Amino acid sequence: MLAKSNIKDKPQKPEDVFDLDNNSAIIIKDLVKQFEDVTAVNGLNLEIKKGELFGLLGPNGAGKTTIINVLCGLLKPTKGTAIVGGYDVRKNLKKVKELIGVCPQEPAVFKFLNARENIELFGNLHAMPKKKIKERTDKLLELLDLTEASKRKTKGYSGGMRRKLNMIIALISDPEIAFLDEPTVGMDPRARRSTWEFIGSLKNQNKTVILTTHYIEEAEALSDRVGIIDYGELIALGSPKRLMEKYESKNLEEVFLKITGRRIVEGI
Amino acid sequence: MNLQRIMALVKMELKKLIREPANLFLMLLFPAVLTLTFGIAFGDPALGMDFSVMTPGLISYACIFIIMTVAMSFTDEREQGLLKRINTTPMTSGEFMGSHMISNMFISILQVVIVLVMALFFGFRPLSDVVGFILAFLTIALFSLCSVGLGLITATIAKSAGAATGISFIFILPQMFFGTFIPITDTTRIIAIFLPSYYVVDALTSIFGGVPLTSENLLIDFGVISIVSVAIIIIGIQLFKKYGNK
Repeated sequence: MLAKSNIKDKPQKPEDVFDLDNNSAIIIKDLVKQFEDVTAVNGLNLEIKKGELFGLLGPNGAGKTTIINVLCGLLKPTKGTAIVGGYDVRKNLKKVKELIGVCPQEPAVFKFLNARENIELFGNLHAMPKKKIKERTDKLLELLDLTEASKRKTKGYSGGMRRKLNMIIALISDPEIAFLDEPTVGMDPRARRSTWEFIGSLKNQNKTVILTTHYIEEAEALSDRVGIIDYGELIALGSPKRLMEKYESKNLEEVFLKITGRRIVEGI
Repeated sequence: MNLQRIMALVKMELKKLIREPANLFLMLLFPAVLTLTFGIAFGDPALGMDFSVMTPGLISYACIFIIMTVAMSFTDEREQGLLKRINTTPMTSGEFMGSHMISNMFISILQVVIVLVMALFFGFRPLSDVVGFILAFLTIALFSLCSVGLGLITATIAKSAGAATGISFIFILPQMFFGTFIPITDTTRIIAIFLPSYYVVDALTSIFGGVPLTSENLLIDFGVISIVSVAIIIIGIQLFKKYGNK
């Protein structure tokens, strides 16, 4: 079902994107993920550095969430290799899971528990020491402005509050690598800004963050590099500034529209 | 196996039991209401259904409803993305299933206590000693594994929590009519012997009736319950792991 791309300048071979030193948080080689007759990820090659905030962009159904699901072990790759934190997701999934925090696209929280109970539950699932769970829970609730509501059952939370909690749960274990799948969708502008600041602060803690988003300005403001995915293929890769120069665009949104739109225009 | 992970999920399941009205009703209030209703309606020995006959059936019947709550719980958590989320943590599937088994064993023991206390109030006088009671609790704890397994099979088939409720009756109804509190006839026995609840009721009836715990009949019951429960929980876990957690 997937059409071949003929866009020039897109990274094609592993040697184009790999800098094979020990500074890699994630290495993806020739990754393919197929669902029956649909190829969701088609020969993806990508390397993400330790401490990098990497923006994964793409239209709906481009394959962003599938890539994240493969990297965190929820989906098995059809072909290729994915190495997360030095461990192959096929062979050492348990080790991978010890290193990562995942913020899913749809908030997944237990509604009959309050925020604190939800966070502590996932801290325990990561087998963290009780004292550390409490310290990090307090800190993260404070940082994302949820302390006051933390003892209320999440059933009564607004969408934005649930999204914040969704992110706190992903980060409770202080993961080396965090996957944030559209974490700010549905948040009001104020909450979105404060969440951006929070995500930006993870960079200062030398965390590797993979952020998927439809808010291009979010990716532009936060990401060290962005990768644009379409039809399961990486069609552009670089820092926002470099991509804007390369595609002679005022901002990243223009780049995005140019290269994803061109595929539509060219009937690819 | 990490005990911290298992106990965290057990604690969460027990909080769900108390905080979710549907769970609280099905798991704890339902056995109480059932015993009360039967006590008032049939508590007269002259009707031939006194509590020495009904109690083992009522206990088993309450435990059978674990099928529905497990199926609803798994489908609901799957729909909400919670199973996937738990799957991204280092928790193993063995720890995850173990936590569900422990919490449901605990619930089934609570159900036995509720039914027994209420049955005692209506004049039930078991003839067993302390060891007999322990064996009765063990029997029902083992039977709860069978219910968890059938709940997992239901959750594998069902696409939603609503569908899980309906499908769970495929497993609940036969056990309800052939082997729990409705007295077995020679005709219904032909079907009942293929249902685990029949052996649970038979074992509990023997234990509460003061039959020696080493009797052949009791050992056969216990053997059948053990084999069937372990087989069903293994089938349930395997099916759910392969097809249900998607």
